[in-house]
Amino acid sequence: MAKPEFAGTLEKIGCNCWRIPKSYKPGMRVDGHIFASDKLMETIRKDQAPDQVANVATLPGIQKASLAMPDIHWGYGFCIGGVCATDPEEGGVISPGGVGYDINCGVRLLKTNLFLDDVKKHIRELVKALFHTIPSGAGRAGRYKFNTTDTRRLMGEGPRFVIDRGLGVAKDLDHTESGGRIPDGDPHEVSDHAVKRGTEQCGTLGSGNHFLEVQVVDAILDADVAKVFGLELNQVCVMIHSGSRGLGYQVCDDALSVFRNCPEKYKFELPDRQLACAPVGSPEGRKYIAAMRAAANYGFCNRQLLMHQAREVFAEVFGRSWQDLGMELLYDVAHNIAKLEEHDVDGIKKKVWVHRKGATRAFPAGHPDVPEQFRSVGQPVIIPGDMGRASWVLVGSAGSMEKTFGSTCHGAGRAMSRTAAKLDGAGRKIEKELEARGVIAMATSRSGLAEEQPKAYKNVDDVVDTVHDADLSRKVARMRPIGVIKG
Amino acid sequence: MVPPESWAGYHRGMYELFEHTADLGLRVRAADLNTLFAEAAACLFAAVVEDVGSVEPRVAVTVELTGTDREFLLFDWLRDLLLKCDEDRMVFSRFAVEVRADGLTGTAWGEPFDAARHQLAHEVKAITYHELKVVREGDEWLAEVIVDI
Repeated sequence: MAKPEFAGTLEKIGCNCWRIPKSYKPGMRVDGHIFASDKLMETIRKDQAPDQVANVATLPGIQKASLAMPDIHWGYGFCIGGVCATDPEEGGVISPGGVGYDINCGVRLLKTNLFLDDVKKHIRELVKALFHTIPSGAGRAGRYKFNTTDTRRLMGEGPRFVIDRGLGVAKDLDHTESGGRIPDGDPHEVSDHAVKRGTEQCGTLGSGNHFLEVQVVDAILDADVAKVFGLELNQVCVMIHSGSRGLGYQVCDDALSVFRNCPEKYKFELPDRQLACAPVGSPEGRKYIAAMRAAANYGFCNRQLLMHQAREVFAEVFGRSWQDLGMELLYDVAHNIAKLEEHDVDGIKKKVWVHRKGATRAFPAGHPDVPEQFRSVGQPVIIPGDMGRASWVLVGSAGSMEKTFGSTCHGAGRAMSRTAAKLDGAGRKIEKELEARGVIAMATSRSGLAEEQPKAYKNVDDVVDTVHDADLSRKVARMRPIGVIKG
Repeated sequence: MVPPESWAGYHRGMYELFEHTADLGLRVRAADLNTLFAEAAACLFAAVVEDVGSVEPRVAVTVELTGTDREFLLFDWLRDLLLKCDEDRMVFSRFAVEVRADGLTGTAWGEPFDAARHQLAHEVKAITYHELKVVREGDEWLAEVIVDI
């Protein structure tokens, strides 16, 4: 279904920043700001994603502007790549659509002390072992099963719960956003259906765009920051992209049903049903926030267990313990989440609900929420690209606090729809094409590889250049994939 | 109650998957609402399972819903089936629905997921409300639903 080109005004107001004036659509409370280079804007204006940025600007209590990152694309309700902050003191709302179904979908990067030459000859064996060990794809249950009581405890405690059972080390928590546990989550606000969906899926990759990749650092752009992060040229890393699985989807789904009646009850109008929201302090809003935080903690646990399995596979393949292989977590970031954070709004410090739907927190040097080890340089930001070209490590920059409530992009962003990519891949052997580019890929779904082929995505380098130039985050290291497992 | 003879709306051109940048759209046309809702479910499972023909209609599951908004009814019908798929690990291939002014009764026939015989194509995370549509167009009904992948 081709969408018409965006016909509204897009006025360039700064380096890589475009404004949709609030006069564009009735009900907009603030302007829209899209961060994009001239080149990316040519693609962005081709569908209705900018219109979705304008729709979000109608949400009660929204502050400064409805924001979009350069990897913006058409989503449902909110665009993907959207950021909005609402002030509870000004009737601000919480919106499950502004978080997404996959609550705390995110990425973590695991380092090793291995280099390309150490891994090259083992890569096929390594990818095969990762693919057979780590459950991926629709319908696969995990190796770790929790009863409903433990699933709820896990949501309350975050990865600490599994680390206490030997599935990781305490240091992993220090290198996870929010220490791997968002406080004030309430697992008892998570429905029985959601908990049931979560009992067998912790430690599974899922499908869609989720992946585990073996990558090699192929460029260092900021040597000083790379040194603090412990990254060097030709070093082998493991990137993991997954979220809170069926449990998170169900929490979002449950909330959206309850929120159906909120516009009428709280007397506001929404341009799209999928933007369903409720005042932060309302019973509906409070319940969703408590459940969403608990689901987010499940998401951190899921990535912790995926990482643990990857460490075990490396240890098996290389015949050394993962500690000997230097398999330390660099950092774990959430890119589908809403968090209560302090930000400067027109010179006043305010606690606002920052919704990041396909956007990554990017706090700069000196921010108290950046782990001490990185505080002198800023928070590591992990940006997955596509499985043929590259992914990036960036560092949070001061501009993000001024312009985007401490946020930056989250990935490459899709350039082709799934149906178009599948058609494009028909009759081709995507695995062979990737192999010719030096990437060994294994996937459970035939359609999956075609839908996720490199061409289906924008070039992540263009996205990263845009946020670098706009000072939302700065380039540190570029990684290229050498092994991929997918659902 | 026996399952309907054919699940194969696809061959009769009653449903199709349409493009949406990150996700998938289901588009269904039918002469009446009962068929529209049944075909929408068939379309959903055509996105979930690589070959719906591999799913035997061995077990029947019934869904009862109340509500007057047709779009929300379609949403809830598909959502309930998706939940049974994920939570109870079931896959379905045939559907019959009776849509009333105040709700619906729907039956889905299928079987437990068996990795040896069924290949799953997409993990549908959720049914979305975005651009959800159940409308009368001339002498037929049209439904559009975007699902999150």
